[in-house]
Amino acid sequence: MKPRPYTPRVARKFIGAYRPRIDALEKASGKVQFVDDITLKSRFPGMLYAKVLRSPYAHARIKSIDAGEAERLPGVKAVLTCNDPEVKALKPTSAGWTDGVDTVSYERMMWRHYRDRRVLGDHACWATDEVGAVVAAESEQIAEEALRLIKVDWEILPFVLDPIEAMKPGAPVIHPEIAPRNILPKDTVGGKDVFVDKGDADKGFAEAEVVVEATSIHHNATQASLDNWCCLVDWKSDKLTVMSNSYEADQTRMHISQMLDLPINKVRVISSYVGGQFGRGDTGDQPFFLFTALLSRKTGRPVKFRHSRRESFHDSRQPAIYTGKVGAKKDGTITSMYFKSIGNSGAYADHTMFALKFAPTEITEVALAHIPNVRMESYGVYTNKLPACMMRGVGNSQFNLIFGHVVDMLAEKLGMDPIDLALKNFGHEWGGLPDKSLTAVLREGAKRIDWRAKRHKPGAGPVFDRVKKRGVGFSFHPAWHAEWQEARRGEIRIRITVNPDCSVVLDAPTVETGTGSNTCNVLGCAEALGFLGIGPGDIVWPHTVDTETSLKDCVQTDSAVSYLQSEVTALAALEVKKRLLEKAAKLMKTGPEDLDISGGRVYRKSAPAKGMTVQDVFRKGDMLPIVVEMGRPPAPQKTGVPYIANFAEVEVDTATGRVQVLKLVVLNDCGTVMYASGAEAQQIGGQVMGLGEALTEEIIYDAPTGVPLNFNWIDYKIATMADMPDVEPALLEVWRGAGEYGACGIGEGTLTCTPRAVLNAVYNAIGARIDDIPLKPEKILKALGKA
Amino acid sequence: MMAKASKQQTREAKSAPVKIKINGQWHEFEPGRDIEPSMTLSFLLREKLGYTGLKVACDEGACGACTVLMDGKAVLSCMKLAVEAHGHEILTIEGLPGDDPVIKAFAEQCEPGYGTALQCGFCTPGFVMAAKGLLNEKPNPTPGEIKEGLSGNICRCGCYSGIARAVQHACERTSPEGGKK
Repeated sequence: MKPRPYTPRVARKFIGAYRPRIDALEKASGKVQFVDDITLKSRFPGMLYAKVLRSPYAHARIKSIDAGEAERLPGVKAVLTCNDPEVKALKPTSAGWTDGVDTVSYERMMWRHYRDRRVLGDHACWATDEVGAVVAAESEQIAEEALRLIKVDWEILPFVLDPIEAMKPGAPVIHPEIAPRNILPKDTVGGKDVFVDKGDADKGFAEAEVVVEATSIHHNATQASLDNWCCLVDWKSDKLTVMSNSYEADQTRMHISQMLDLPINKVRVISSYVGGQFGRGDTGDQPFFLFTALLSRKTGRPVKFRHSRRESFHDSRQPAIYTGKVGAKKDGTITSMYFKSIGNSGAYADHTMFALKFAPTEITEVALAHIPNVRMESYGVYTNKLPACMMRGVGNSQFNLIFGHVVDMLAEKLGMDPIDLALKNFGHEWGGLPDKSLTAVLREGAKRIDWRAKRHKPGAGPVFDRVKKRGVGFSFHPAWHAEWQEARRGEIRIRITVNPDCSVVLDAPTVETGTGSNTCNVLGCAEALGFLGIGPGDIVWPHTVDTETSLKDCVQTDSAVSYLQSEVTALAALEVKKRLLEKAAKLMKTGPEDLDISGGRVYRKSAPAKGMTVQDVFRKGDMLPIVVEMGRPPAPQKTGVPYIANFAEVEVDTATGRVQVLKLVVLNDCGTVMYASGAEAQQIGGQVMGLGEALTEEIIYDAPTGVPLNFNWIDYKIATMADMPDVEPALLEVWRGAGEYGACGIGEGTLTCTPRAVLNAVYNAIGARIDDIPLKPEKILKALGKA
Repeated sequence: MMAKASKQQTREAKSAPVKIKINGQWHEFEPGRDIEPSMTLSFLLREKLGYTGLKVACDEGACGACTVLMDGKAVLSCMKLAVEAHGHEILTIEGLPGDDPVIKAFAEQCEPGYGTALQCGFCTPGFVMAAKGLLNEKPNPTPGEIKEGLSGNICRCGCYSGIARAVQHACERTSPEGGKK
């Protein structure tokens, strides 16, 4: 591979650079402290460890529980069970304490009509569900031993894992009070079951000359952050302090305050570095914060709760069974599209309906705007599987698997190149066809994968080593999270402090999870304060969010933090300049309108030779720092969104069924590249998850018992360096959003198209389609009629 | 032979103090008080001694985040009992000098086309120590040897390309014929 660095559309000093991350040395030398590090027992000598009972059954109810023996075990300091009044008093909840992105109250939580979780209930809805009892002890071993001494009389209930089975009459019902037939009831947020009904889809199909129909099945992949969930809660007198690796401190605080009925200022949440999140747990509403807090209150000691690796299989991507149908005229003009999804929400609803409805609704607006007839319907179904919340690109990966499928199939049936078919039909509401951004990503991708030379009729390419066949394929998707789409967040607030020596503190709080937004922010600040003659090295950015001292943190979701905060920083910098000129005007005995600043020097516009350094303005003046705090909602201008695409080349061993990906090209039209090395790291890095979902990662359940079998990293297969193909990142700047930079989030989108690109390439190689991922060898052999 | 030797060490550990050289300093651990037969090396290093550079992410030898060097070789400290380190020399990332060429190469990687060598940074100390172990064995590894040598480590952020470049750059700095293969 020969690297091809992008060329910025607008030359800037810092934004868009290829350079190391601002925290690179601290991280490379192991000095960075994650929550498990800052909560060592040596730092909190009185600390206890909490462990929670987990259900051994896929579906069960606790008839009775006797914790007497556990309480008597030396080293055990407290046991709470589901029968204790302080536990029973807790309100039912759901992992949906957001309005999609940001902090809300209990009454306004997004999925308030699916409050299906108890903090420590008696109803186990999946094997390993946290139920019944929690223990605080002097060590984790003692806590584990105590759990074994708790006598539970379980009522084992029938279970169901498959959503289609779960929808049938007579199936075991998981949350009868909410969903008597397991199908999630009326969804007031995402809309009716048929949530998109544009034009007349049936009429559109009647007018079509060619129609294709397909199915695609996306499974339960898990985020698999290395940094297991961990928190320490210290509840002393009336004040509760939490250290955690949740990625939104403000929301965690609201959740705890509302569930434990504490004033907001009596809850302090500190979020240090987080070892990767990828959507895990989505919100700060994990029930374990609450039972850990109750244990701390009961014992008067700090209590630490952390998941083991097995317990960290706690959240996943929503599995979805999609069917899709598309009709077109012979010239490739699409007349109608129809998609239906059945989502397996698992044991709790969480953000299932967000995945199933929000993403496709957005896509209808920004990619299917020129298709006259579109209908989409969706059903979320409870089962006794691992629940699904947010995972990198929530809902988009599942939709792309069917979208890219029907596009590829239709192109084949029409005898068209799928690139031409895509350009003929897809674009956003505010733009014409062909969409400039889509054209750019598809043309560039085709060039880099050598599409013309390598694409052949399905299964008709050259054969290598007698049994190996190669093929190329791609998939594309609208990027998402342009500024106007972030309107749900409300105001983004930052603070710039310029000290008398021109050093700067940028308070742009967001939990540092590795995404690169911290470096973007510092580069953006250096860019915006360029008139001070400073660089990124002169800016300090606090890495820890502390709700007692920080501004409200910008939730680290939606791949959007980099540009949201940088846009506000750019505005705040104008105010810094204004205040600096006012200070200088007093000293220089002139009006601020006669002054300007460049390279750290204030000068008279009328006589540029006359001036003084910015430092002198402070030193000879009041010596007070300039502090500018500014908030601004995301820009409302509807600009459409740019496109992303992945192109894959694969080699399929038709004797063994093994799929080897030879090359992946990852293309993102970023609007503006905020930080090139970080963006490339996201593009390349996303493929570990994307290829994992496509080829190897899968949670396997034991059918007779419903117990998951591979909650470990030996059997849940994550790609290592040796498994990865060459990944070629391609950054483009074609589309432009609102604001100073007009950038768009890219992190999540880097892997949205990967599974479908690989599946389409496999079809091109062998001429047989496989509808579900991961693409295990036996599925290939079956498709080839060999198994 | 090996098994016999380690059994003997375990038996001795019950009575005599366990002696381990950690980052250049000999430490003595009294059995029953400082160290237990079932204690893993990762637990001793992190929880007892505060060497938090190494991470325990899987606790079952699958991810490499807990990698340290034992007598110059990369080992998974979650898969070693602390007593097995008796008489041996352990190096954690805290024992590396600030200007260590591998640390620097990981920090500085931004060569276009490969991304950075780290994002969240959680797996990084494990990768750095695995790379140290690899370079101790093979000062000038081929790209294939780098892939194989570091394939016991997981980076969920997926910075494998950047990591491989960083290791390559580290050899170029340290070995006269580095990077030529």
